[in-house]
Amino acid sequence: MSALRERTSNKILSVMLICIILLLMLWPFFHIFVSSFKPLVEIMGRATFFPQNPTLSSYETLLFARTPVRDFPRFLTNSLIVSVSTVVFSLFLSGISGYGIARAKRLKSGLITRMLLLFYVFPTIVLLVPVHRMFASIGLHDNLFSIVVVYTALVSPFCTWLLVSFFENIPRDLEESASLEGASLFTVFIRIVMPLAAPGLVAAGAYAFITSWGEYMFALVLISSSMKKTGPLGLATFTAEQYIEWGPLLAGSLLIMLPVFVIFLPVSGYFIKGFTAGAVKE
Amino acid sequence: MNLARKELKEYLFLLPVFSIITIIFAYPYIRTFYLAFFNVRFGVPEMHYVGLANFANLLASTTFWQALSRSFVWAAGNLVIQLSIPLGIALLLNKKIRGIHFARALVMLPWIVPAVAIAVCMRWMLLPRIGIINEILIRVGVMDQQMHFLGSTATAMPTLILLNSWKFIPFGTLLILSALQSVPEGVYESAAVDGAKGFQVFRYITFPLLGSMIWFVGFIAFAWNFNIFDLIWLTTQGGPGGSTQTLPVLIFRTAFRTFRLGEASAMAVFIAILLLVFGILYFRILAPKKI
Repeated sequence: MSALRERTSNKILSVMLICIILLLMLWPFFHIFVSSFKPLVEIMGRATFFPQNPTLSSYETLLFARTPVRDFPRFLTNSLIVSVSTVVFSLFLSGISGYGIARAKRLKSGLITRMLLLFYVFPTIVLLVPVHRMFASIGLHDNLFSIVVVYTALVSPFCTWLLVSFFENIPRDLEESASLEGASLFTVFIRIVMPLAAPGLVAAGAYAFITSWGEYMFALVLISSSMKKTGPLGLATFTAEQYIEWGPLLAGSLLIMLPVFVIFLPVSGYFIKGFTAGAVKE
Repeated sequence: MNLARKELKEYLFLLPVFSIITIIFAYPYIRTFYLAFFNVRFGVPEMHYVGLANFANLLASTTFWQALSRSFVWAAGNLVIQLSIPLGIALLLNKKIRGIHFARALVMLPWIVPAVAIAVCMRWMLLPRIGIINEILIRVGVMDQQMHFLGSTATAMPTLILLNSWKFIPFGTLLILSALQSVPEGVYESAAVDGAKGFQVFRYITFPLLGSMIWFVGFIAFAWNFNIFDLIWLTTQGGPGGSTQTLPVLIFRTAFRTFRLGEASAMAVFIAILLLVFGILYFRILAPKKI
C-alpha cells in the first residue's frame, strides 16, 4: 500500500517537474507570440507581460508596408521556393541511396555508409569561401538554385539514414513477387517501395524543409540582391538598420517559426526516432 | 563475374547522395587547404601563390589567438551546460506517463526553430528597460539595476552561452533519451528485486550504461558549438569589443567584410585540422572503450 502511494507521489512529482521544464523552455515563444500583438509604443516602452491594447499593426507594417528592399512576403515566397525544391531534390537523391543501403547488408555496415554520420559534426564554416567562389565562377552567385544545391547536400546524409530504417521494414517478398510478375526495378521502386515508405518520406521531407527554411549562413554568403533574399536573410537585414522597429521584427520572427512548428509537431515521433537511430546503432 | 556486377550495382545506388556530398562538402573542403596558400581577392579569379604567408600572418595576429581562446571558452561553457541539464530532463522524460510523447515533442521546439528568429527576438527581450528579462530578474530580486546583457563585454559571452544552450538542450536530451530507452526493462526489474533504490539504480545501472552515449553527445556538442556562427553573428556580430568573436565569426569577417579570403581559408584549415585531431584523440584516448 505504502509502496503504491510512494509510486503515485513520485509520478505526480515527475509530472510537475516536466511541466516546469516545459514552461521554462517554451515561455520565450509564448512571450514573443503575445508581444507581437502589442502596439509599437508598448514594444519600445517598458517591458510588460501582456499587451494592454492588442493590435495587428506589427503584422500590417510587415506585410503591407512593402518597399523593394523590405519586401517580407517576397522573402517568404523565396524561402518557400527554396525549401520545397530542397525537399524534392533531397528526397529523390536520398530515396535512391537509402533504398540501396537498406537492401545491401554489405553497404549498411560498410565504412562508406558510416561516413554519412560524420556530417552530424561537419564544420560547415570551412566551406564558406570555396563554395562562394565555386558558385561565383560558374555564374550561379545570387541565384536561388545555388542555395538549393547547398541545402540538398546539407540535409541528404540525414535523410538517407532516416529512410534506410523505413525501407528496411518493407518486406522483401512484396518486391520479389512484383519483379517475378515482370515489373522492372524502377516500377517496383515507384509503385511498391515508395508508397510503403511514405511515413519515412514525410519525416525526411519535414527535416529537409525545416533545415532549409531556417538556414542563414550560406544564404548570407550566396545571395546578395534584396529580390532574392530568403526569410531569415530578410529578417536579419531589418536588424542592421539604424533605428530598429522591433514590432514588425517580432511579427516576422513568428511567421518564420510558425511553419516549422506546424510541420514538426505531427511528425515529431518519426523524426525523433530517425535522428537517434544512426547515433544509437553507433 | 556475376557477383562483381551485383556489387557494382549496389554501389551505384550510393551515387546520388555521394555525388552531391562530393561537390558541396568534399571538394570545397580540400579546396580550402589549397586556397590557404594563396593571396585570394574577392570577386577576382586570379590568385597569387604566397606560400605559408597566410599562416604566418595568423600566428602573429593577436585577434586570431583571442578568437581561438574565445572559441574554447564558448565550446567548454556550452558543453558543461549541455551535458548536465539534458541528462536530468531525459531521465524525467523516460518515465511512462500519459502524454509523455507530446511532452517530448514540445521539448524539441527550441532546437528546430530557425536561429534567426531566436536571435532577433532574444535581442529584444535582453535589452535594458525594454526587455522582459531585465524586468523579471529585477522583480525577482536577482539584480537591482538594468543590464545591457549583449552590450557589455562582461556579460555578452555568458549570455550567449546560455542562449545557445537553451537551443541545444533539446537535442542532447533526445540523444540521451534514446540511449535510456535502449536499456532493457529487465535490468531495472532485477535491480528492484534486489532492493535497489532510486539513486542507486541511477548510479550503478543507468549511468554506466549511458556512459558511451554521453561521450558521444559530448563530442557532437563540442563540434557543433565550436562551429556556431549564425546565433553569434545575428546577436552581437562578435562584439562588443570582440568579446564574442569566436573563430567562425572571425573567419566570416575576414572573408566577407575585409575580403582577405586566403587568410580566412588558413583559419578554416586550422579549424578543420583541430576538429579532426580532437575527434581522433577523443575517441581513441578519452572515451571509454566498448566492452
